[in-house]
Amino acid sequence: MPPTSPDQEWKKGSAELLVLCLLEDQPRHGYDISRLIELRSGGVLRFHVTTLYPLLYRLEERGWIEGRWVEKAEQRRRRYYSLTPEGGDVLQAQRKSWKEFVAAIGRITGVEHA
Amino acid sequence: MPDWKGIVRERAACLHLGGAAEADLIEELAEHLEDRHRALRCGGASEEEALRMAVSELDDTYPLRAKSKRTPPMAKYDAVPAGDALRGNFLEDTWRDLRYAVRAMRKSPMFVLFVVLTLALGIGANTTVFTVINTLILNPLPVRDPAGLVSVAAAEAKDTSKSNGPLSISHADLKDYQARNGVFGSLAGYTSPRPLTLQEHGASEQIFGELVTGNYFATLGLSPVKGRFFLPEEDSTPGGHAVAVMNYATWLSRFGGANDIVGRTLRVNNLLFTVVGVAPPNFIGLNAIFGPDLWIPAAMSEKLFPTYMQNALNDRGKAFFQAAGRLNPGVTRAQAEANMATVASDLAREYPDADAGRTATVRPIRDVVLTSTRGDSSSILFGGTILLVVVGVVLLIACSNVANLLLARSAARQQEMAVRLAMGASRGRLLRQLLTESVLLGLLSGVFGLLTGYAGLQLLFGMLPNAANFVTPRLDGSVFVFALVISLATGFLFGSIPAFHASRASTAESLKEEARTTGRSRRKITLANALLAGQVAFSFLLLVTAALFLRSIQYAYEIDPGFQTEHLAVFPTNPGQAGYGRAQTKAFYKTVRERVASIPGVDSVAWVTNMPLWARALNGLHVEGREQRSREDNKITAIVNTIDPGYFATAGVPIHHGRAFGSIDHETATPVAIVNERMAHDYWPGGDALGKRIQLPGEKGMRQIVGIARTANYSAWGEPPQPCVYVPMEQNYSDSMVLYVRTKGDPRQILIPVRREIGAAAPQVLIGTTRTGPEVIDGGLFQARMGVALLSVFGLLALGLASIGLYGIMAYSVSQRTREIGLRMALGAAQASVLRLILKQGMSLVLTGVLIGFAAAILVGRLLSRMLYGVSASDPASMAGAALVLLAVAFLACYLPAYRASRVDPLTALRER
Repeated sequence: MPPTSPDQEWKKGSAELLVLCLLEDQPRHGYDISRLIELRSGGVLRFHVTTLYPLLYRLEERGWIEGRWVEKAEQRRRRYYSLTPEGGDVLQAQRKSWKEFVAAIGRITGVEHA
Repeated sequence: MPDWKGIVRERAACLHLGGAAEADLIEELAEHLEDRHRALRCGGASEEEALRMAVSELDDTYPLRAKSKRTPPMAKYDAVPAGDALRGNFLEDTWRDLRYAVRAMRKSPMFVLFVVLTLALGIGANTTVFTVINTLILNPLPVRDPAGLVSVAAAEAKDTSKSNGPLSISHADLKDYQARNGVFGSLAGYTSPRPLTLQEHGASEQIFGELVTGNYFATLGLSPVKGRFFLPEEDSTPGGHAVAVMNYATWLSRFGGANDIVGRTLRVNNLLFTVVGVAPPNFIGLNAIFGPDLWIPAAMSEKLFPTYMQNALNDRGKAFFQAAGRLNPGVTRAQAEANMATVASDLAREYPDADAGRTATVRPIRDVVLTSTRGDSSSILFGGTILLVVVGVVLLIACSNVANLLLARSAARQQEMAVRLAMGASRGRLLRQLLTESVLLGLLSGVFGLLTGYAGLQLLFGMLPNAANFVTPRLDGSVFVFALVISLATGFLFGSIPAFHASRASTAESLKEEARTTGRSRRKITLANALLAGQVAFSFLLLVTAALFLRSIQYAYEIDPGFQTEHLAVFPTNPGQAGYGRAQTKAFYKTVRERVASIPGVDSVAWVTNMPLWARALNGLHVEGREQRSREDNKITAIVNTIDPGYFATAGVPIHHGRAFGSIDHETATPVAIVNERMAHDYWPGGDALGKRIQLPGEKGMRQIVGIARTANYSAWGEPPQPCVYVPMEQNYSDSMVLYVRTKGDPRQILIPVRREIGAAAPQVLIGTTRTGPEVIDGGLFQARMGVALLSVFGLLALGLASIGLYGIMAYSVSQRTREIGLRMALGAAQASVLRLILKQGMSLVLTGVLIGFAAAILVGRLLSRMLYGVSASDPASMAGAALVLLAVAFLACYLPAYRASRVDPLTALRER
């Protein structure tokens, strides 16, 4: 494995949560997901295709999300990912534990949440 | 517009995804890059810059590559994933266990070979014995609904105590039984298989035939494989229909399964018989062991055997038949017996001369099937049980051998187990995996065991002389089920203890480096020792049993049968069956006597009706002067032997009182007889038998007793004394007799010359199985010899297995203690003392086993005592012999590893980790 920088490690830990969050309200295709992550993080977080797609496949294999090829008129067909009920449960659980984690880190580092 | 798919495909080629997965991945990534490229261009990047940035996203393919390997690489080599905490699919687990077991077996072929060989011997021995028991005892008759069949026989009404065996029924009585009973749907009669002369292509051969009533096959519920069975009219007119049904095995072996067998004519006893059908396979009549080649209607009996079955169809005194009946639905055996007893008592009243004092018995057909004449099937059952127990013990020894080996291996596999436990496998799962391995080994051994068993059966049944007449072992479904069950049970038995031990491996201890070299735990050594001592005890028990029977048979050979056997040879002939008339037969006897007597080396010759040890007692002898008692009382059972005057000299039977027969006892002279001492003592206890008169069954006149001969054995070797009457052949014509020849030297040397002389005198006359005196004894002791042979084979097998096990354990323990031994020697222990140390360890185990076995042998000996002759169950010689053999072999098994231990080079041993 090539050497990884610390922020890559952080990214890896939270990537699943990010993807699940983005799929919570509507199905999205891969580029849409990566664009939104970059956009909403203000450019801090960015996933390359070689990181994003394996992650999507992994979540799909676990049954948390579901990918489906969708064809729309006058458009190329695209693969849209949507959250499964099981994925929804996982998201709630992960969101809760993330909050606790961040709160715990905050209490120790003194970086208080607003 | 760049070719995005092409770019992605190029980068993804190294992933070797292939198929739809690759196409999907390429399409998805290409779209992504295209969108990205477009966004960058919109954001103001130059074409060149946008392309570079988009493509750079593909630079790091590592995450993709890791993802693409769907199945983890470990799974290929480890079928039981370490962390098997989640409950898997049962079938899937079993399949994985099986594959793992096969791989484990492939890794140690010598181990597998040893296990399979050991167990195959044990399973094979069990299969052989079970097949024999299945054929003879469990499932002896291939007829329809054997439970509904019963055997009907006559019996003495008064006699309640000794030898109240079933008696034969005369044909006329049988007819009345058939007509008067109210309990049988049908009642059939049959005789025992009797020798016949088959004349083919100018040569004579002996075959066996059974006379049966016309409804015989219908009563048994059989259907022919070829042709038909008898028609009612074929058994109605005496001598009218010369037809025969052939034994299936005879049809195959003697006539090559010829298609045109039905309708063929055979010349039997100089009569032409037409074969009308072939009986179904495996059916050899109502005797479990020996059957006829032909079944012939009872109506032919007088024509087939004109002399000794003369008037047999009407004379109620001539009883040749046994009966088998099919009970009417709802009728019990007790009801049938009551009914038949009524019929018999009616007959006794109507025909007091023949039937007085007789009743009828109804017994399960199985009792009769197992014992053709004497009504005791328990000795066969007892023998069968003993054999089953013996082979069971052999299998147990084999199992404990393998269990010991597995224990030794489990020490070596302790690390493997510990690693798995540490990775989260449950103990139950490990246990299951280990048991799968041993059950697989058991099944594999079962396959070879079945083959071994088959070979054993071939060997055993191949020893029987005339294969078509004898029972053939039936390898049917139940044998296979038996083999399967004992293979599975064997697998569990030898696998469970070691598996339990192995799966109890302590994780922490075993993972430590030292654990590898400390070998077995104390507990395992103790268990292995217990198993080993048990093996020795069982082997000792089997050896003692074999030795007891061997000694018993030695004693049996020393029995004095009352006639000489050393210089004797006998030649059965049957001139009557060759079509000889009375005058011709008499001339034949005379010529042969003269010709054989002139052969050099022949001392004397005599014609006799009975084969030695093959005589059957006759009923209905009358003793004059006993009329004052009731009618039944004076009916005496005795052996009747028709002899020529040279008999007593030839057979070496001394006349103690009175005279032997001579030329004065010719056909028209006063009828005379000689009785044996037993008879004289029983009926004329005052010692005044000479001059008294007796009447033989079927004879009109009285015979005067002129001599008293020494009692001999007539029907069986070592039998209790039974009464016997000799009559001169001039006064009692028989168309088949046995030539007794007394030789000066070895009787084997005159066999060929005598046969030549008989053949020269009458080429058509069949000479039956010739026997020398020693062969007569061998025949008489056949069952006992068979038993000893089997017991010896199994005893030696057990000894062999136990010594291999002993050797294995000793060798293993020595190899584990190499360091310790090296240390002892480095500290000054002499080679001899190391040798002593190891030997002591092994031999104390053996001695413990022998002591246990000794105690068991004394208990078992009591059970066996009724089968022993002349030796006590605790015969010291047998015990000592068995102990000596066992100790010697065990000593060798211990000495080899001990010797190796004493040769250990201390320096090498100490360097060893």
